[in-house]
Amino acid sequence: MNELMIMLFAPLVAGFIAWALDIRGIREIVGILGAAVPLGILAKYYSTIAGSNPETVTHTITIGGFKLLFQLNTITWYFAAVASLVGVAMAFGMASTSRSSYEWLFALMSYTGVLGVFLSGDFVGFFLFWELMTFASFMMVLKRNRHESLKYFVLSVIGAYAMLIAIGILYAKTGALDFGTIRQALYMDAMLGSISKSLTALVFLLFLTAFGVKAGAVPLHVWAPGAYSEVDQSYTTFFSGALSKAGAYGFLLLYILMGTKLYTALGVWHNHMVFSYIIAWLGAITVVVAGFLAVLQEDIRKLFAYSSVSQVGYILLGLGLGTTLGFAGALFHVLSHAVFKGLFWLVVAALILRTGKTKFEDFGGLAEKMPITFAMALIAVLSLAGIPPMAGFASKWLLYEAAISAHMPLVAGAIFLGSGLAFAYVVRFLYAVWFGQRPSDLDDVEEAPLPLLIGMAILAIPNLVFGIAPGLVTEYLGKFLGNPVGGDYFKLVTPTGTYNALLVTVILTLGLAIAGLIFIYGAKARKVPVTDTYQSGNPVTEDYNLSMRRNFYRPLAEALDFWLKYSWDRFYERLAGMFEDFADSLREGFYNGNVQSYAWYLAVVLLILALWGVL
Amino acid sequence: MFDWKLALEAIGMIIYATFMGFIFMGIERKAMARIQRRVGPPIYQPILDTLKLLGKKESISHGFIYDFGPVFALGASIAALLFIPIANFQLFSSNADLIVVAYLLEVPMLGIMLGAMSSGNPYSAVGVQRGLLTMVAMQLPYGLALIALIQHWGTFKLSNIVALQGIHGWSITVPALLLAFIVFDIVFQAMLGLEPFDIITAPAEISMGPMVEYGGKHAALLFTQHAVQLFAETAFFAVLFLGGASNLLELLVKQIAVLFIAIFVASIYPRFTIDQAAKFFWKWPTILGIIAVILTMGW
Repeated sequence: MNELMIMLFAPLVAGFIAWALDIRGIREIVGILGAAVPLGILAKYYSTIAGSNPETVTHTITIGGFKLLFQLNTITWYFAAVASLVGVAMAFGMASTSRSSYEWLFALMSYTGVLGVFLSGDFVGFFLFWELMTFASFMMVLKRNRHESLKYFVLSVIGAYAMLIAIGILYAKTGALDFGTIRQALYMDAMLGSISKSLTALVFLLFLTAFGVKAGAVPLHVWAPGAYSEVDQSYTTFFSGALSKAGAYGFLLLYILMGTKLYTALGVWHNHMVFSYIIAWLGAITVVVAGFLAVLQEDIRKLFAYSSVSQVGYILLGLGLGTTLGFAGALFHVLSHAVFKGLFWLVVAALILRTGKTKFEDFGGLAEKMPITFAMALIAVLSLAGIPPMAGFASKWLLYEAAISAHMPLVAGAIFLGSGLAFAYVVRFLYAVWFGQRPSDLDDVEEAPLPLLIGMAILAIPNLVFGIAPGLVTEYLGKFLGNPVGGDYFKLVTPTGTYNALLVTVILTLGLAIAGLIFIYGAKARKVPVTDTYQSGNPVTEDYNLSMRRNFYRPLAEALDFWLKYSWDRFYERLAGMFEDFADSLREGFYNGNVQSYAWYLAVVLLILALWGVL
Repeated sequence: MFDWKLALEAIGMIIYATFMGFIFMGIERKAMARIQRRVGPPIYQPILDTLKLLGKKESISHGFIYDFGPVFALGASIAALLFIPIANFQLFSSNADLIVVAYLLEVPMLGIMLGAMSSGNPYSAVGVQRGLLTMVAMQLPYGLALIALIQHWGTFKLSNIVALQGIHGWSITVPALLLAFIVFDIVFQAMLGLEPFDIITAPAEISMGPMVEYGGKHAALLFTQHAVQLFAETAFFAVLFLGGASNLLELLVKQIAVLFIAIFVASIYPRFTIDQAAKFFWKWPTILGIIAVILTMGW
């Protein structure tokens, strides 16, 4: 058995074993082991992939007349490594939060699906694993909420079959299904132009739909808030941390396979390739729209769901810039989004496990009760908001540099606005959950269980390590992007700017030390309870609610009044309703139970045939 | 290996910036007083205030984050200061560019918010909410102004921006960047927390907002933070649009010029409500910013 295959199917097999045995304790161990295998094998292959003379590891199997090619090269290793890092954290989290073996089966199945998507070297495997991934994640959502799962399923199916049509067209035109041949054929065709412009545009549009659905690009994001919230939150770590990256990987694949062809067919507009310009704006709009929606949510899971959509928007935006610096930023953001958002979801899982609540209005003052979880949440917050010595800042910094250097200033403006919004929603999360007055029913909340904390630590450490040493990532990415970012492990250097992460960390620590000295110099502080506070000089007792728990950003909602009247969600619901009504009217109109009308149908068909000249 | 000269410069700059920051705060109060035909406090008054606060016998705390917030804010302000090239002192500016500095200048806000939130005071909460909404609102025009500037000069490095201005003239002499300058100046008013955008602290409405619970050494820290931040932001402004400076005196003149514009505007305008501020920022400054950006693109 080839190691690539072991890596690919280990989670799936572990999932089946966990499901079949269904003994509490054993299924957790099997699940964690199964999830850890891919990470181990990937680590083993690191020197082969990224060594001095990198090789591509391939493996071919034949199933059902198709030759399935799997390949591990610099790009696929990166994506697979990100996915399996998140996968291991998910498995640890699920050891604490999952209630049934059903969840283990499908969570690990989607893990295999995601790895398969990343490793596939041809469209057959790509599509099969894509469907496996969609199906498994759909089954996870289905367990909790039927309506949301169907919404996710229908959109995914639209995406998947759009992709199937696109693959079909490519196959018809090039006669190949493996990426290498298609890439070459389309590259040749860029000069010859035998595939027409409109057909190329159609294929592009179909792929855009397919990958846009998975990545959650506006306006195809409507499944995300529901699906991300209505599952076991430990699984969402993987769902939003790794599964959404399949969409980002798809866009990257689009560049690899069709880049030149799309460039020649769709042309250039003001020095930007039209097709990548579309992707960039799709990303920018996603960042802003989802960011605004995240700010206005009242449910902790919905907030992070929209935030995931918004952050994946950054990745699309970076890919859309079409420069190697843009790719470096986007791919770095793939990693940093996976680690900080995965961490966020594990924190949410811990909160839901310990309190059973999801609405902001029910939380408050948990920082004292769950100090370690709070520390983890703080790391995630700093990373997402882009505070300098964190991974989230390094990737965002690259995106800023890339967007402005690529002369897409308005897109860069969207990043500015998006990060302001990100600041606003993470602070809302901090405030509502961790600070202020604690509702009396949360007084006996305990710290998160150990496996969950281990899962958090697995994701928290990369946030710090890749934040202080961002060069580790950019150097690896440079291997296939042609070194757009210079510098060393601690310092990023682009043609126009520099960011020395280590020095920034040192100076920030120094600043904190100076500030700390002033603080220590001052008189001793006396600790007082939350209720001993200023309330216009009035006495306050426990039964006052001092925290603003509901509609925190009401003024923003009012300022955006006009825009909030329009909702893609409602649009799709209405569209679905119209289709249902149409189907109803078809059924009632044609299958009306009247024998004479069936006789008439026969007569009409005969008439048509007669006019056609058959009879 | 260890660069003693640089270390001494940095320490000297921190001390100078803190002192001058306090003086700027004093100038602000004095000028406001003169505009209203009052005598006003002496110019070194903020220093006395801070020393008094530091000398308080007791202060209260609502827990670890409550203490950490102001410390974090001051630490980040100092870090931001050290990455800006100040007059002829380059400090650490070759190691971090405009985006890093722009972010570091926003981090103190997070520190203050963290501390304020952990106090659990409703006035603080309203202040935090207003602060973040102001930030969201001003972020777009602010970003556009910076983008226009970077596009025109073609570099993110602050020292290069200064050098290029030395050769080609100040940023504000370029028509497109003059627009960016106007946008930046409007945003600057909010960055400094002055009217009409002093929505965050709004003394008469929400009793100082985020700072309502702070007293004693915490308040002293926040005062010091404000001083350093004021110095860093005015220096940042001078570096971006007024051609930097070759010595501290020249920088001082530019900083005070920038400060006076802010004070004059602040003393004649009443406060916006938060939704008015959001709508305002997304209208004229954004439109001007977009025009500036398009002009710098050269087509």
